[in-house]
Amino acid sequence: MKFARLPGTRSLRLALGAVRERTGVPGAELYVKVGNTRRIEIDPWMTPLPVDPDDLDTQVSILDERGWALRAGGANRALFLADSGPLPEPNGWRRLSRHSLRPGTLRLPSPSSGTSPGTAPSAAADLAEHETDDEETAGLALLHGVLRRLGERVPEARLIRGRLDTGASAAVLASTTGVTGRTALRLATVELDFAASRDGRQGHCRLYRAASNLQMLSADSIASEIAERLTLATAPAPPFLPAGEVAVSPALGCYLLALLAPLLQGRDGWRRLREFGAGRPLGPPQLQIVDDGALDAGWMSAAQDDEGVPTRAVGLVRDGEPGEPLLSWEDDGWSGFAAAGCRRRSGWRALPELCHSHLHIGGGSEAPESIRTGIVHGCYLLDRAHDGRCHATFEPSTNGSAGSLAEGRFEVDAIGLVIRRGTVLGEAPRVRLTGTVRQLLQGIRAIGNDLRFLPAPGAVGAPTLLLTGLQVEAIG
Amino acid sequence: MTSNANGAGQRRRLISDVAPPADALTRLVAHGDQQFEAFFERVESVELLPKGAPNRVRLRKEQGLAVRKIENGRSRLAAADTISGPAFAACCDRVAGTTRSIGTAPPRIRTGRWPALRLAEIEQAESRLTRAVNRRRVGFPMEITARRHRRQVQVIRSRVAAPPQFEEYFSLQVTTPWGVWGGLLPSLAAEDLDPVALCLVDRLRSRSLPPERPGRGVIVLGPNAAAVLLHEVVAHALEADTLALSGSPDQVVGLKLGGPELDVVDDPRSAPLACKRSSDDEGTAAISRWLLRRGRVRQPLADLAWAERYPSMIPGAGRRASRHRLPGPRTTHLELLPGAIPERELFAEAVGGLYIGEFERGNLDPFDGRCVLRAPCGRRIGATGPSDHTGPVEIRSRAVDLLAAVAAVGDRPLAGGAGWCAKDGALLPVWARCPSVRLEGLEVAD
Repeated sequence: MKFARLPGTRSLRLALGAVRERTGVPGAELYVKVGNTRRIEIDPWMTPLPVDPDDLDTQVSILDERGWALRAGGANRALFLADSGPLPEPNGWRRLSRHSLRPGTLRLPSPSSGTSPGTAPSAAADLAEHETDDEETAGLALLHGVLRRLGERVPEARLIRGRLDTGASAAVLASTTGVTGRTALRLATVELDFAASRDGRQGHCRLYRAASNLQMLSADSIASEIAERLTLATAPAPPFLPAGEVAVSPALGCYLLALLAPLLQGRDGWRRLREFGAGRPLGPPQLQIVDDGALDAGWMSAAQDDEGVPTRAVGLVRDGEPGEPLLSWEDDGWSGFAAAGCRRRSGWRALPELCHSHLHIGGGSEAPESIRTGIVHGCYLLDRAHDGRCHATFEPSTNGSAGSLAEGRFEVDAIGLVIRRGTVLGEAPRVRLTGTVRQLLQGIRAIGNDLRFLPAPGAVGAPTLLLTGLQVEAIG
Repeated sequence: MTSNANGAGQRRRLISDVAPPADALTRLVAHGDQQFEAFFERVESVELLPKGAPNRVRLRKEQGLAVRKIENGRSRLAAADTISGPAFAACCDRVAGTTRSIGTAPPRIRTGRWPALRLAEIEQAESRLTRAVNRRRVGFPMEITARRHRRQVQVIRSRVAAPPQFEEYFSLQVTTPWGVWGGLLPSLAAEDLDPVALCLVDRLRSRSLPPERPGRGVIVLGPNAAAVLLHEVVAHALEADTLALSGSPDQVVGLKLGGPELDVVDDPRSAPLACKRSSDDEGTAAISRWLLRRGRVRQPLADLAWAERYPSMIPGAGRRASRHRLPGPRTTHLELLPGAIPERELFAEAVGGLYIGEFERGNLDPFDGRCVLRAPCGRRIGATGPSDHTGPVEIRSRAVDLLAAVAAVGDRPLAGGAGWCAKDGALLPVWARCPSVRLEGLEVAD
């Protein structure tokens, strides 16, 4: 099956010339993206497990996506235009004129702001046509494998919904400032929703996992993770909760780190991050928080961001102290810091926005097992509770809305285990972990060496963490 | 096939001749259990951001098609981001699993023209809303983002082509120093902007008030708030896929959910003028569907797939967020039929209670039926109606308890409570027309 191909940068330059001629703008940029996705959805609505693969109602979608976006303008007038389908030919811009522009501004990166024209992969590498029929068979096998293995472990589990996406996308951009860029991504994601009932107690679990290809998703480990979570979610509440140490799994660590994302972006984030430190270290000396758009083997790894600016590793927190802010090319040189390629588009319809690509906690050296067994009196929290709270506030609330948090606080509902001297005393089906952002960072006592990335969105990675000084209470 | 739900006629047709793709679809059918459907879509969104924003005007256009095969409860869909004969033929090949499934020559598919791009009405939104606020003798800084959304849809199922559908509506996002208001409007005319100004002024006056203390009492919901309540506890609760999470969807028919004053209808044909639909996103004729008749469930919301599984269900409520998504049963335009109680009397028996004009958020847990509704502010009900402002209010209750608490329904229905429904991540515009309702014995949450 033939999928859409990307135009070459020469076609983009010709189109840019036509746009400039029609509108008279000093600057313009064209971004073209193509992609294909194969989606398998199973929605048997509470089908008991194990289920016969032939009994599953599978809905398969083969999606061929392509579109382009134009940004044009200057100091006073600008235009953003996005459309599906192939890029128009140079004579296809007839409807554009000076009157198409409206008050506004447009600034574009130039090669001098750190971009590197001509370093992109070749067009042939953009969107290698993958064997989609094979992927469909492999995807169905993965889903059936998860259901079969889970049925063996938790026979009372019911599948609510399952969705597997595999796909690839490629993009090319060129601007009148001389910047060009190409990116190509391949991703497989699986999202599964299960329910179970044990002794009259209902529990739910939703799992969302991603990998750069389907073969890296293992049915056995996904089934184990779901079984673990369903078992905890349907357990009786513990008679007491120790308030000492809290170890959090990489999955929950990712959610906690994702909550801190606003502190780790741009000028405002940097100012707030420094305020949270209040002259003291933000965390232990081994704490490193890094965002790396070019991370080896990362799902979103690319040499350039979606504006053609080169990506690099940015040490946001180094040795427990504020390192450098994540700044886009527009803020290059602010307070003496260098910019990095960090503006991404959520699709061809979207404008580039500053965001992380592979935000993660590094620096861990301890084995996760030793962190868990080293808990004297506390909890090991495995994941977020299904449909529970997970938020943080960094601004003062102006209307005191119900349920809102004080500035600089976070709360996360989680499932986990109660542990005493390394021994599991019981399950904790729903607890609320709360504290201030400062307590969260400064309370890190150990960092595991089992770094793992989750889609949250983008890629957020964390290892097992040992935390102290936070509040844990049973809820529900 | 020449009529249009909102009378726009030929100029709003998406594809000029439906016969070639309809003929091609019939060639795909191998046996009687197979159904094929083609979905053509064209979407335009114009966004005007506040002054000073980069790329202040943002125009997004897209068009594409999807071909779907349905066979024994399973479906196969292929979608492309372009409308053309070769793209249609490629999609047919993908769902049929063969090459040249509709013959050697792709059908000729020609698209109609895009509607004219009228920017003036969007550009006037800011000044009109500012004037509406100023008429209430207040003024405050506002950053207004106005968007116009247009969507054309054409569905062909085998030889049958449904009437082309065209929707046009607007969305506003107003950022003030004390929060963000967002909602959908059928137009940016003064009469549609006036209720927005009222909401903004209410939020201004309650901006520093503490959250309402928990307690049990009488609550009067204005038409906007009543619409959100019904959207969560009637419409979502009676969607076939939600019902299937807790049993067989057809078993709820006849179940008593509320008092005899509750008559709730979903009727896409009576949505605001430019949003009326005569057929759904699967090409099935839209009907006036009694969801609740005198408080009892009459007909859950179903699409073709659910109607095939449960023959007592009637399709016609299939909606899809885009050509890339499968359809699902959803509400379009919810109506609570008026009661006999004049608005004044509704308040007369609620003195000391709470008036809620709008909910900013609602959520229904499909598993345990618990519903959470959040209002940014409320008003204490005095002898003459709503008087002193209060802070934010949160109501948490089971859906059945919320409906059982409806003690009276007003006699003056108003269009309102329109918004984006985001179930399963698929954003869909929903509309409503409701009178005010009085709830008794409900508790405001902590």
